[in-house]
Amino acid sequence: MQEEKKLEQNKREEPMSLLSRSLLTGFIGGLLFGSLGMVMYYFNFSEVSPKSYVLRSWVTEEWTEKWLGNIIAILLLGILSVLIAMCYYGLLRKIYSLWAGVLFGIILWGLCFYLFQPIFPNIPELSQLTNHTIVSTICLFVIYGSFVGYSISYDYYDTKMREANG
Amino acid sequence: MKRRDNKIAVSSNIMDNQTYMKKRIGLDVSFDLGFREITLLRKKVQLYYVTGLCDSVIIQEILETLIQINDNEANSKKLKEIVNNRLVHQQVEEVETMDEVVDNLLSGLIIVFVNGEKIAFVIDVRNYPGRTPEEPDTERVIRGSRDGYTENIVESTALTRRRIRDARLRNEMLKVGERSKTDVCVTYLEDVADDGLVKTIKDKIEKIEVDGITMADKTLEEFIIDRKWSPYPLVRYTERPDVAASHLLEGHVIVFVDTSPSAIILPTTFFHHMQHAEEYREAPLTGTFIRLIRFIAVFISLYLLPVWLLFVIEPTFLPKELAFIGPNDEGNIPITYQIILGIIGLEFLRMAAIHTPTPLATAMGLIAAVLIGQIAIDVGMFGPEVILYISVSAIGSYVTPSYELSVANKLINLGLVLAVGFFGVYGLTIGVLSHLLFLIHLRSIKTPYLWPFIPFNPRAMLQIIFRVPKPYSNSRPSIVHPKNNYSQPIKKS
Repeated sequence: MQEEKKLEQNKREEPMSLLSRSLLTGFIGGLLFGSLGMVMYYFNFSEVSPKSYVLRSWVTEEWTEKWLGNIIAILLLGILSVLIAMCYYGLLRKIYSLWAGVLFGIILWGLCFYLFQPIFPNIPELSQLTNHTIVSTICLFVIYGSFVGYSISYDYYDTKMREANG
Repeated sequence: MKRRDNKIAVSSNIMDNQTYMKKRIGLDVSFDLGFREITLLRKKVQLYYVTGLCDSVIIQEILETLIQINDNEANSKKLKEIVNNRLVHQQVEEVETMDEVVDNLLSGLIIVFVNGEKIAFVIDVRNYPGRTPEEPDTERVIRGSRDGYTENIVESTALTRRRIRDARLRNEMLKVGERSKTDVCVTYLEDVADDGLVKTIKDKIEKIEVDGITMADKTLEEFIIDRKWSPYPLVRYTERPDVAASHLLEGHVIVFVDTSPSAIILPTTFFHHMQHAEEYREAPLTGTFIRLIRFIAVFISLYLLPVWLLFVIEPTFLPKELAFIGPNDEGNIPITYQIILGIIGLEFLRMAAIHTPTPLATAMGLIAAVLIGQIAIDVGMFGPEVILYISVSAIGSYVTPSYELSVANKLINLGLVLAVGFFGVYGLTIGVLSHLLFLIHLRSIKTPYLWPFIPFNPRAMLQIIFRVPKPYSNSRPSIVHPKNNYSQPIKKS
C-alpha cells in the first residue's frame, strides 16, 4: 500500500517544467492579444497596429498588406512575447499579485510607445497619437501584462504550494 | 453549534420528564406535538411524536405492539428490555439527555419513555413531506437521466451514492442554525479531494452562528464565500445528480442543504458556469460546437450592445466595409436612452414571466410582442435596430446555462452601456478592462475565478474549448488540487 501511494505521487509530476509552461503562456498571450490589437486597429480604436511594429517598420513589400502579412505579424508577436514572458519569469515570478502583471503591462507600454519609439520609423511620436489610441493601447497592454504576469506568478506559487504539501 | 455543557438527564420519574417536555416544547400549546400515555405491566409508558413528520400508521403499529406486552409478558422488572425487543424498527436508539430527546423529537423521531428508566428510546421512522425526484427545470437534457435532487437531504445523498458506490465517498453531516437546526451534508471523495479544501469548507460551515438558514443553500453560500457583494456567482448550483457526481470525481466538494434541491459545487470558476450536461451527452465534436456557440452567445450578451452603441455615437470608428452599421432612422430619443429603456423593459417582461400565472402567460406574450415591440417602433419611440440588438443580446443571456451568471452579465452589460453613453470609447475600453481585472481578481475559496484563461493553463483551457472525449481526458483538473491526479490509467502506447 505504501509503495502504491508513492507511485501515485510520482505520477503527479507535470510533464512540462515551470519555465516551458511560462514560455508557452507567453507565446499564446502574444498570439491572442496580438490578434486583439489587430481587431482594435481594424475598428480604429488605435491608430497603431501591432503589424506596424513587427513587420511594416522593416518590410514594405506588397504581401505585408494582405492576410499573409497579418498572420506573419501575429506569429512574430508570439515569438516576441516568449521573450517578454522570459523577462517576467526571470524578474517578477515570485510576486504573486495581479497588480504586478498590471504594472508590468504599463511598463511594457512605456517601453514600446516612448522609449523604443524612435527605432520604429512608422510609429508616430507619443504626442502625435490621439487620446483614444493611448487609452486603448494602455488597456491592451495592461490585460496582456496581467495575462502573462498573473499566469506565471500563479503557476509558480501553485507549484511551490504543491511541493510544500508534498 | 457546539455547546450543551449543562445537560439535563432523563429522569427515572416519568412525571418529571412530562413536566419538562410541557415547559420546553409547549406540549399543550402546539397542536402538532403528539403525546400518548399507556400503561404496560403497571408501569407508565409515554410516547411523543410530531404529527406530520411521522406516519400515523406506524404510530398505531407501535402502540399496538406495545400494548400486546400486557397480554404476553409478566415480568415488569424487565420492561425496558421487553420494550426494546418489541420495537421492531430499523433504527432504535437509547438517549440519556433531555436535549437529545427534544432535538430528535423535533426532527420527526418517535420518543418512548418508560417509567423508572433513565433512558428514552428514539425510533427513527420519520417521513418528511416532500416530492419524488423529478427532472430539474433549469438543467434539462434531451437524453440522459431524468432524476433530480429533492428537498430531502437523505434522498439527495442517496441519489449521489447510487452513482458513486465508492467506499471512499464521504457524506459528513453537520447541523447549522441555532433554531432551524438544518442538516448540511459535505460530500467528497476522501482520496481525491484536497484535505485543505474540505477542511476550509467544514470550518466555515461550523463557524456559522445564526438562528436559521431557511433560505437553505443560498444563505449557506453567503456564509461560505468571501466576496459577499460580488454580482458573480462564486459557487455553482446543480440539481442533477450526474453533474454533481462527475464533479465529485474531479475532486470538487459538494454541499447539500436540507430543504433545498440545489447542491453547491465548490470551488467554481467562471467557466464552470458555462458548462451544461447537454454537451456531455452529445458527440464530442457536436458538444464542442454547442460550447463554441454558447461562448459566442455569452460574449454577445455582454458586449454587443455597448459596441454597437459606440458605433452609433461615433461612426468614425467603423471601417469602410462596415459603414452600413448604425440606425437608418434614429427615432426621437437618443439611442443611449433607447437602449437603457429597452433593457429595463425586457427585465419587466422577464420578471413578469416568472410571476405570471400560466393562464395569463399567452396574454402577456401577446402584449409583449405586438403592443410593446411593434407599436413602440410605430410611434417612433424605438428604432427597429435598437429592438433587434436588444433582443439578440437578451437571447444571448438566456443561452447562458447558469441563471446566476446571466443576471450578473446583464448588470455588467448595463454598466458598459452607461459607460459608453457617457464616455464613448474610453468608457468601453476602460470598462471592459476593469470588468476583466475584477473577474481575474475574484476568488472562489482561493481559486482564481477566470482560471484557466487568466491565470492561463494550456491543458485545462483545451478542455474548456473542446469537449474532449472521456477516454482522452485522464487527468483531473489541477485547480482543485486533487490528491490523486488520474481518473484512468495512462495508456502505455
